[in-house]
Amino acid sequence: MQKINKNVVLALLSLTSLVFLLFQLYYYKFYLSQKNGSVFSKVRGIQSGQDSTRWHVVRKFLGLISSHNIPVYLIDPLILGLVDKDIEQIRSSPDGPTPDCKYFCAPRDFTTFALVDKTWKHEVSLFRAAEKMGFQWLKIINKDPRLDGMDDLSGVEIPLHYIFKLASHAIHLVVFYERSGNYLWHGPLRLKQHMDRKFVPFRKLHFGRYPGAYEKPELLLVSIDDLKVQIPKNPSSFLEEMSHSRFLECRYREARAFFQLYPDDASLDAVEFRKKAKSLLHLAALTLNSLGVKFWLSSGTCLGWYRQCNVIPYSKDVDLGVFIRDYKADIIPAFQKAGLPLKHKFGKVEDSLELSFQGDEDVKLDIFFFYEEDDHIWNGGTQAKSGKKFKYLFPKFTLCWTEFIGLKVHVPCETLQYIEANYGPDWKVPLKTWDWKSSPSNVQYNGVWPVNEWDDVIQIY
Amino acid sequence: MDEWKPNPAAKAHKKRSWYLAWKYKLMNQRALRKLCQTGAVLFLLVTVIVNIKLILDTRRAAYEEEEESAQDYDDEMLNVEVPRHPVSNKKVLDVEVYSSRSKVYVAVDGTTVLEDEAREQGRGIHVIVLNQATGHVMAKRVFDTYSPHEDEAMVLFLNMVARGRILIFTIKDEGSFHLKDTAKNVLKSLGSQVAPFLSWRDMWTFAGKKGGEVYGEKHAKSPALSTWGDPVLLKTEVHLTSVEDAECHWPDTELNRRRKRFCSKVEGYGSVCSCKDPTPIEFNPDPLKDNKVFDVPVAVIAGNRPNYLYRMLRSLLSAQGVNPQMITVFIDGYYEEPMDVVELFGLSGIQHTPISIKNARVSQHYKASLTATFNLFPDAKFAVVLEEDLDISVDFFSFLSQSIHLLEEDDSLYCISAWNDQGYEHTAEDPSLLYRVETMPGLGWVLRKSLYKDELEPKWPTPEKLWDWDMWMRMPEQRKGRECIIPDISRSYHFGIVGLNMNGYFHEAYFKKHKFNTVPNVQLKNVESLRKDAYETEIHRLLGEAEVLDHSKNPCEDSFVPDTEGKVYVMFIRMEQEADFTTWTQLAKCLHIWDLDVRGNHKGLWRLFRKKNHFLVVGVPASPYSSKKPSSVTPIYMEPPAKEEGAAAVPAVAAAEQT
Repeated sequence: MQKINKNVVLALLSLTSLVFLLFQLYYYKFYLSQKNGSVFSKVRGIQSGQDSTRWHVVRKFLGLISSHNIPVYLIDPLILGLVDKDIEQIRSSPDGPTPDCKYFCAPRDFTTFALVDKTWKHEVSLFRAAEKMGFQWLKIINKDPRLDGMDDLSGVEIPLHYIFKLASHAIHLVVFYERSGNYLWHGPLRLKQHMDRKFVPFRKLHFGRYPGAYEKPELLLVSIDDLKVQIPKNPSSFLEEMSHSRFLECRYREARAFFQLYPDDASLDAVEFRKKAKSLLHLAALTLNSLGVKFWLSSGTCLGWYRQCNVIPYSKDVDLGVFIRDYKADIIPAFQKAGLPLKHKFGKVEDSLELSFQGDEDVKLDIFFFYEEDDHIWNGGTQAKSGKKFKYLFPKFTLCWTEFIGLKVHVPCETLQYIEANYGPDWKVPLKTWDWKSSPSNVQYNGVWPVNEWDDVIQIY
Repeated sequence: MDEWKPNPAAKAHKKRSWYLAWKYKLMNQRALRKLCQTGAVLFLLVTVIVNIKLILDTRRAAYEEEEESAQDYDDEMLNVEVPRHPVSNKKVLDVEVYSSRSKVYVAVDGTTVLEDEAREQGRGIHVIVLNQATGHVMAKRVFDTYSPHEDEAMVLFLNMVARGRILIFTIKDEGSFHLKDTAKNVLKSLGSQVAPFLSWRDMWTFAGKKGGEVYGEKHAKSPALSTWGDPVLLKTEVHLTSVEDAECHWPDTELNRRRKRFCSKVEGYGSVCSCKDPTPIEFNPDPLKDNKVFDVPVAVIAGNRPNYLYRMLRSLLSAQGVNPQMITVFIDGYYEEPMDVVELFGLSGIQHTPISIKNARVSQHYKASLTATFNLFPDAKFAVVLEEDLDISVDFFSFLSQSIHLLEEDDSLYCISAWNDQGYEHTAEDPSLLYRVETMPGLGWVLRKSLYKDELEPKWPTPEKLWDWDMWMRMPEQRKGRECIIPDISRSYHFGIVGLNMNGYFHEAYFKKHKFNTVPNVQLKNVESLRKDAYETEIHRLLGEAEVLDHSKNPCEDSFVPDTEGKVYVMFIRMEQEADFTTWTQLAKCLHIWDLDVRGNHKGLWRLFRKKNHFLVVGVPASPYSSKKPSSVTPIYMEPPAKEEGAAAVPAVAAAEQT
């Protein structure tokens, strides 16, 4: 009796679970296909090996664009990744026919192209023609950041992204703008309220989550999959650039509020210092960039950028940060060659390295080297007369691009934490007296250099 | 349930063939039961796994969706579209018009569209133009017909208004004193019964459709010379027409769409909005060969003088070699109409919240405009700076294209300007000739980016300093001895007579007779001789060949210069030191050229034309060219008139003028 019962119970259980399972599978499938058709088109694509819809849409788009003389170039990271593998072959035979559709047939929801704004005239006729060809299109506009720093200018909003959709495929056209500092900028993709959120799966777009900064790329006209298209000459370096292209705009509004509270110093001295600091920073950037050493604005210079979008006129020097892993022995001779003699060198590569170069007159360039630990990053300081060592701790950060006095430079993306670590919560209040040994809120006493090392770790010129 | 150990059991079974297993199971109840149990457990396990996966997936999806709608791709600004109500579904507008000595107002459907009760202002006839289909105000003007010539301006304006528009008139204070018959007849032709008989201090309101019905008119006669007529209030109804009737039927092109938008909003631009054969808004002038300024941004500095801006942009866009993409119009203030003009021509415009007042406001507007220009065109090495009250010569860009390399290569240059302060009808002759001058003329000029970014921008006068930007730029601290290149015949013409430092009298005296080049494609001669050292050689050559004039004659007399053509003459005036311009100022005055401050000099030398002869004036002994003076010649000295008090004030005004 007991056994029978057990069997019945088991059978019943199995049956219900089977029904349940079937239902669940069905529902899951249904849900997925609703959520995102591509999963299944992907499956289909894999089965048939390629998806010609995409190729056709891209071809149509390129036809449209070239009939309006608009020079777009391909920046789709997935395709560029594929292209990069075969770059030699593609370069050597620019017109060579490719046996099968290799790049534009992998089924995707969209393909990304770039357009440099000044190379076209914003003709409305393009969109008319696009509509005639069956494209639906969406334009994403926003404020012009090039006028953002300007007190009270209100320009026309500028187009940042275009999306052209045909059938199941969309073309994402990112508009790049030239900005002061000789770089290209693209804006974030932000939907206004009335916009169709379902137009394309926006979250999957490769560009638009953040604004980005890029070098002006050299382009190469290639023929891939029987389509003639411009690509960055060196796709791998473009992809590498893309991976850390995030751009931070200066906080102009906050800077204006700051100047309301603490009016700017417009004296001749301040003007002079700013001019010198600017040319020193330009020179330093030129030198470090040519060495390929990545640097960022640190200490007072970073504070000046974050708080007032300008050089702090009483700061007396320009401060840069460099990760110690990027240190190169060539740095010192390169600066000397650029007309900036070494003023002092504290510490050594293994510990607390810090270099100071003498700029024009009394403006000094300080380069602090940062050491990465598991949960923090630090740089060191040394007091020349006593050989005392100091350590400045920062929470971990990554680097973002920004524009500062006509330069594209790095700053810590997590700028606020960086500045609060360095200057405490009251960083908004200008302080004219500042002691680098005691004022920073992240300073730690770090012992004393052994006397026998002094000649090496404390060099003053 | 300890005995449920499915895996080893399953393994054991796997080794046998299915058939055998089946047989065995049939024989062995226990084994069957075990198999069932195992199967059930497996089933249950799979169900559980699928369940968990499903839950995780839905959760993740839900989270993503939430995140998506939370922000990320949403604009943080809530641009809530205000639903636009059509002006009214009803077809009738209630219009109220009030006229009195000290106050006028016009209300349309209860909304006041004009109200003026300021003292000592707004005298004369106020005119309002309404769109006959929408009821929108398209133009608002006041003509002070108490003063001369204002009635002519009113006639001009009324003639430009398109047929079918609704016109509303009202008088404040006095509007008849200089209202001539021509103007009265125009008003009569609009349907006014009273206009021909309007007299001193009468009050009057009138509403009518141009070329159509009259909606109402009221009039109050002034009983005596010393008193005003009683206030009058006209209340009437206006029937709106359909939008189609109010618009012209131009062919549907991109250009005409812009035109349509413009013409349905504003009035008073004449033939650009005429239905038949409207004047073009695209000009397509010939491109320049080898245009060196095609990529140079052009900043047009504008205020709220939309009619001026319209005229200016027309001439700019008609100049050969213009590149409309490089033009940005900077409007000082949130004025709609100038922006409409900019959009009519398909250009880009930027509005600027006014900062500070008067001169400082202009100054701040200049700074913002220049900074924005170099931000928008980061590649540019130069910017062309223009103002809204300039006509631009057809060869403006050709002139710049031929000379701009000098600004790039010669550090002793401050600017290139299209304007010659001393280039009047009777003193300028040669369109191919250029000068170097120590003053900065402005009025259409080229600014070097490095000069602006490195020197001017950081120390630009702050808003609280009520300085003129151009006077500031002329100060030695800024100019640092550098010079500007100017043409003999100006490539711009200053037509503005309303402005911060401007009035009709001033314009008539100093600007009207200015010479303006109308010849296209002038080939400039000897551009290389404008470089610093080459120019000195050139001047010495000129002085060497120049004929010394008879210094015993009066230089103000026409006979001072012989009746020749194409010769070079020189005269010497007394100039004790570098800043002694006593004689020069008197000479400038009698020659009827710019005398309000010193312009156009180069090391104590002025170059102009008299009777088609090149005429050089050298200041002795301050000028280094004094050595060219024959020892027999005594430099001419002209004494300033004895009364100086009045004159002293004038330069201050004049100095501020060219903004």
